[in-house]
Amino acid sequence: MNRAAVLSLILVTAGSHLLAQDAPGRINLNDPNLVIVDASVIPIPVEIFASLDKLGAQDWSKQVDAREIRLDANRSRTAMLFGLVVSDGFIAVQAQDKEAVRRTGREVLRLASSLGVASSVEQHANAIVAGAGQGDWPQVRKELDRTRQTVLNKMSELRDEELVALVSLGGWLGGTQALAAVLKQNYSVEGSDLLNQPDLVKQLKDDFNTLPARARRGKVFEQISQTLKHLESLMRVDASGIISQGKVIEISLSTKNLVDSIYES
Amino acid sequence: MRADRVPFLAGICLAGVCVISPFSFAQDKPIEPAETVEVSPELDDLKLLVQQSALPYLTGSKPFVLREASWSGEIEPGKARLIQVQLFKRNDYHFWLAVPDRKSSLNLNLYNGKGELVEAKSVRYETSNVTSLVASPEETGLYYLRLSMQSSVEEPQRWAVIYAYR
Repeated sequence: MNRAAVLSLILVTAGSHLLAQDAPGRINLNDPNLVIVDASVIPIPVEIFASLDKLGAQDWSKQVDAREIRLDANRSRTAMLFGLVVSDGFIAVQAQDKEAVRRTGREVLRLASSLGVASSVEQHANAIVAGAGQGDWPQVRKELDRTRQTVLNKMSELRDEELVALVSLGGWLGGTQALAAVLKQNYSVEGSDLLNQPDLVKQLKDDFNTLPARARRGKVFEQISQTLKHLESLMRVDASGIISQGKVIEISLSTKNLVDSIYES
Repeated sequence: MRADRVPFLAGICLAGVCVISPFSFAQDKPIEPAETVEVSPELDDLKLLVQQSALPYLTGSKPFVLREASWSGEIEPGKARLIQVQLFKRNDYHFWLAVPDRKSSLNLNLYNGKGELVEAKSVRYETSNVTSLVASPEETGLYYLRLSMQSSVEEPQRWAVIYAYR
């Protein structure tokens, strides 16, 4: 063994020892003295799709949908639509559908204009369209995430915290709908594990239910609350540690109904 | 648990990675709401530092994909913070933590939903105010990233955490 390799080994060993000493083997999550960071980062659809694709190639093209978006004065609905459209973009990237990604780029800009943040999003929207033209899918994925984060940041800056929550919720909903639809077509126990998100759904539900009433005006927002409650019971493994095919079908139907309602309301 | 040591690359910035608003940082509970919207040069520098640490892992044959989202806050010496994060089986995750003071000594560990320490690979850098962790969760679910700072410095430190997946 040469000197560099020996030195490297020493460093690795020293590091392991240090870590073993410093990290408690177990923490009591009910300890009232724990300081939990009061902010969550919602996973983006491609983060979940990446895991599913490791089980084998999936047919994402069937999840690409060219919906007409009719805007109204309800900014809460627009924020949900923004999240949904970004998730549609991630699905289109997964399907490597250039035209659908270009459409996402255009719709993202239109929705951002309606939310009053177009100038912050414009360069990302253009990069999405350009990246789609070149088939540069990693770049398009980055720009979609940047677009989403830019809008969230801008909303926080403008103190529109309720819209931040709704953009995040819309993005999660769109990704979950596509994931459940793919799993419904091609069910596997391993794949359905990705729908095991009870804590995340609870957090999204709680965040939604604590939004001020003015941010939840309209019939569709009643449906959001009911669907999240329903999903909380569905999106958890059963006693045998799996999410059954029946539950996957129900998750797929519930999320699709809700997404349709948001687009059509 | 395994540990690696990699050179810290200073002064490198890929297009787009460095140009991110300070507002993309989520804040922990002890911070007053006003701090979430103030432009802080220190926070910008800190975010740059933590992003620079991530750069070597975002290229190559099995690159990580960096998320734009991040967390930040302030931590006292000898104290810990927990970040809740939903992780997915079969993915690898890389988390980076940085604080400004180069004398700081940091720990970053991952726990599952039962509070049990998860096996992970810890990466050490040339400066001890940056550390990172690579984990491959065995189950899909909610995890807790525990960050702590040893009492090697006296002053509370601002911190920033980013993550990537593959």
